[in-house]
Amino acid sequence: MIDLKATPATESLLFLFFRRMRVPLVVLISAYAIATLGFTLVPGVDDEGNPWRMTLFEAFYVVSYTGSTIGFGEVPYEFTAAQRMWTIASIYLTVVAWLFSIGSIISLLQDPVYARALRQARLARSVRAMSQPFYLVCGYGDTGRMLTRALTARGHPVVLMEQKREKIETLAVEDLGASVTGFALDARMPEHLVSAGLRSRWCAGVLAVTGDDQANLKIAISARLLNHKVTVHARAGSREVAQNMRSFETDHVVSPVDEYCRRLRLALEQPDLYRLYHWMLSGPGAALPKHLELPRGPWIVCGFGRVGRAVWRTLTEAGIETRLIDPHPDREDRPDGTIRGTGTQAETLEEAGIGTAAGIVAATSDDADNLSILVTAESLNPDLYLAALENGLSSHDLFEAAEPDFVAQPSTVTAGTMLGRIASPLIGPFIDELLKAGNESARDLLACLLKHQDDRPPALTAGRISANRSPAVARAIERGEAVTVGMLLTDPRDRERRLPLEALLIKRGDENELCPPDDRELELGDRLLLGGRRGAARRVGSTLENDHSLDYVRTGIDHQRGWVWRWLQKNGAAPAPEGHGGEPRG
Amino acid sequence: MNLGKVVFGFFVLLALTLNFGFFLGEIDNPAHHNVYELFAALVVGLIATVLKLGERSQMGAVLLASSLVVDLQLIAAAIVWAVGAHMSPDGLTPALMASIVSLSGGALLANLLSVVLLTLETAGLSR
Repeated sequence: MIDLKATPATESLLFLFFRRMRVPLVVLISAYAIATLGFTLVPGVDDEGNPWRMTLFEAFYVVSYTGSTIGFGEVPYEFTAAQRMWTIASIYLTVVAWLFSIGSIISLLQDPVYARALRQARLARSVRAMSQPFYLVCGYGDTGRMLTRALTARGHPVVLMEQKREKIETLAVEDLGASVTGFALDARMPEHLVSAGLRSRWCAGVLAVTGDDQANLKIAISARLLNHKVTVHARAGSREVAQNMRSFETDHVVSPVDEYCRRLRLALEQPDLYRLYHWMLSGPGAALPKHLELPRGPWIVCGFGRVGRAVWRTLTEAGIETRLIDPHPDREDRPDGTIRGTGTQAETLEEAGIGTAAGIVAATSDDADNLSILVTAESLNPDLYLAALENGLSSHDLFEAAEPDFVAQPSTVTAGTMLGRIASPLIGPFIDELLKAGNESARDLLACLLKHQDDRPPALTAGRISANRSPAVARAIERGEAVTVGMLLTDPRDRERRLPLEALLIKRGDENELCPPDDRELELGDRLLLGGRRGAARRVGSTLENDHSLDYVRTGIDHQRGWVWRWLQKNGAAPAPEGHGGEPRG
Repeated sequence: MNLGKVVFGFFVLLALTLNFGFFLGEIDNPAHHNVYELFAALVVGLIATVLKLGERSQMGAVLLASSLVVDLQLIAAAIVWAVGAHMSPDGLTPALMASIVSLSGGALLANLLSVVLLTLETAGLSR
């Protein structure tokens, strides 16, 4: 009979252990049996000198204590020479048998195959024991590390899967906010994804951010097929892979090159929208980009790799005159007028017209070259808009020091874009609406948000108006009373003050409204996205759930006192206490 | 021919024959039951159990269970014998002997089951 269902890992470990213990156990039993039998056969004498032989019981007793090297002496009677000889034989027999068995156990535990199986069984058990939503991150490169840090900082456990054991081992020394389980497995194998909890009901999302496009594709399709409910975010290096992923409904595909170009184009055409977009979609450590008026004029692109090509296309499509510097100007897909060189030398840059240029994009695949281009270009033309591609995290400090106006690093772009969308499903529609709305509304929204906070990105919170999530508001709406967005944003402890929050989006059915005005009335089933100072959204909770709080922010009448006060107030005997006036103030 | 199967079959069968030899005779007559036979049956039974450890098939699991039953019954019989021969003031009485033999009789049933299962498995294989 062939059992096709996979046995749980722990059970197969037990089988492996027993199978390996067969021979040592047989040896041990045989040694004890031979020694015991021998003692009953060897002639001895009792204390009165009569011939005597041990019974099996006495023999087993003697073997038990000599075999375990305890040694009580010669019982019940002093041994004869023959018995002593057999004692010597039995001691060596049993002790060697013990050493052999213990040695086998130790060698089994040190066996790398067994150790790996044991470790994986332990990890799989810890994933099964998970009891809160967790994310499955595949690939622990720069992007994976950034995602893991940000997700654990938000309190989500993370299950990591990375092929290289060394990278997983660095986890042990990282100080992360929530539990991280690291599997050193190939994420391309669907069964590995399953053992890492893909099918768990707590698996909230799969993030495929390995360095290999085909691997990401395989992970995305496995996740889609094996768990319909999970959201899948994947990185795609090329356009074909991105389209392939979208074809089987991967929830969110990030293509770092496309994203880089989109941001560059926003920076060129809609600077305020770019600031807001980049601020909200660059991870938790992002700073608000400075406001810069872009000089109009020709641009220089250095390098014609994947990014350089996309940037060149973007700039040309935007109607900007663009000059290209590339070490191989003769290759067929290079545009006419390409200048030979890398852009690190002043002559090359001057040949490209650096003196009259508006901006330069350093997009070679070498970070040192990119830095050199930035520094040389700035010394030639200080007014130049400097944009750079940062290939790896390791030179991040250098890029900071070179102070380019626009820097994008593929891993930050990917991680930031994913993190932005992970927080809530409403963020996707919000970004889409924002991009549609254009620069003016982005500027207004940015001004509103900046009233509440410094240049750290706003914390986003999503909520739903329903009997479960916001019972007080739902009851009020059912009574026919109007509840507006502005009421929710009022401080439930002092209605004169406004919480440091802005309503970013209302989703009503299929319709999205960007930045709803304060007097917009809420309806049952509305989904609301709020953004603002960290922790402020918690205070909205009391308005949503507590009838008294809601009444207070709606009418200004504070019912939150005991029945004695209420009775006194009804009889007109008690003046309303200061600050909690029965009449709305002002 | 599979040497592992030969060894296992040998031990299962030997456990049955030894146990049967011990069981044979008047139930309460110590002269009919040699304690060395009980000892040998126990040791062989233990080895047969160890040989079946870590088997994954359904048949292997049932065989392991039946050998465990054999071991348990025979260990109980050995303890009763040790109590009778060394600790009770009257020595090995017919009543104690009867309980030893009946315990080994239980083990004999389990031994028999092991052999039947083994035969079935072999017959199933050849088909």
